[in-house]
Amino acid sequence: MAKPFHELRERLLRAGIAPRHVGRYLSELADHWADLRAEEERAGRSRADAEAAALLRLGGVDDLAKAMIEQRQFQSWCIRAPWAIFGLAPIFVLAGSYFVALLILWSGWKIFLPGADTPFGTRVHGIANFYFGVGRLIYYGAPILIGWGIGIIAARQRLKAVWPTVGLVLIAWIGGTAQVHASRTAVPGGFGHISMGFAHGASMPGVFDGLSHALVILSLTVLPYLIWRLQKAHSLSA
Amino acid sequence: MNGVPELLILRLLQQEEMYGYEIVQAIRSRTAAVIAVGEGVVYPVLHGLERDGALESRRKTVNRRSRIYYSVTPVGSHRLADLSEVWTNLAAAIQHILTGGRHGEAIP
Repeated sequence: MAKPFHELRERLLRAGIAPRHVGRYLSELADHWADLRAEEERAGRSRADAEAAALLRLGGVDDLAKAMIEQRQFQSWCIRAPWAIFGLAPIFVLAGSYFVALLILWSGWKIFLPGADTPFGTRVHGIANFYFGVGRLIYYGAPILIGWGIGIIAARQRLKAVWPTVGLVLIAWIGGTAQVHASRTAVPGGFGHISMGFAHGASMPGVFDGLSHALVILSLTVLPYLIWRLQKAHSLSA
Repeated sequence: MNGVPELLILRLLQQEEMYGYEIVQAIRSRTAAVIAVGEGVVYPVLHGLERDGALESRRKTVNRRSRIYYSVTPVGSHRLADLSEVWTNLAAAIQHILTGGRHGEAIP
C-alpha cells in the first residue's frame, strides 16, 4: 500500500468506516494513483513530479475522506451498534463455546466413563485424555480467545477504549464465575446430567477462586490490547 | 450537482464495463473536462452504487495488473432511466427559463 494513503486510512477508520471498505477504497486509490503516475510520466514528467501531480489529480485527503464518510452505509457495526458487537456477540460466542465444551464432557462421560457417577476426578488415559483435553481447552480458552478477538476488532477500527473494556470485563466476569456441575443421580435412569451456573461461591475461598480466575482472564485479554494502545499513543506522539 | 456522478457513471457503464481510472478519463473526455472532480472521489460513488445493487464488480487481470471492473445490473438500468428522466426534465426547465420562457407557458 502506498504511503500517501496512511493518513487517509487512519482518518477513515477513526470516522468509523469498516476496515474492509477502507481497505478496498485504498487499494483502488493506489491503483488509480499508479495509472495517473504512469500517465504523467508518459507526458514527460520526472518520477517525483509525476507522483506529486498524480496525488493532486486524485484529490486531497480531506476530499477523499469526506466522500467516503458521507456514505453512511460503509460505517462499521462497531460504530452503529457497539452494544451488540462488544456486549451481545461475545456472550453468544462464549455460550456457544461452553455448549460445545459441555457436549464434549457429556459425550466423553458416556463413552469413556460409563460407570462413573461424575466425569470429574477420574484419571483417564490415551484417547479419553485427549478427548476431555479438547473440551477443557475450549472451556478455559474460549474467554481468552474471545477477549483477544474484542481487542483485535477494537484495534482494527481504532476505537476508543470504553466499549472494548465493557466487553472484556463482561467476558472475564462470565469466565471467572462459570461453574460446571455433573451428576448421574439428578436424572432418573442414570442418564447423567450436566449443568452450568454463573455465581461466585458462597464461601470465601469460592469467591476468591472466581475473582482470581476472572482477573487472570482479564489480564490475559487486556494486556495485548493495552500494549497496542500504548504503542499507538507513542507513535502518534513521536 | 447532486446525482450527477451517479448518472454519468451509470450511463458510461451501460455501454461497457470499466475500472475506476477508465471511468474518470471517460467522464473527462466526454464532457470536454467541464465536469472535473478529484478523481479518487469516484470510488465511494461506485461502492455505494454497488452496495445498492445498481452495479456489480469483478476482478480482472489486464497487462499483469489486477483491476476491479464495474458493470450495470438491471437495478442500475432502472435507476439510470429514472435519473435520466429527472435530469432531462430539469435541464429542459432550466433551458426554458434561460431562453426567456414566460410564467404559465408550458415547457415543450
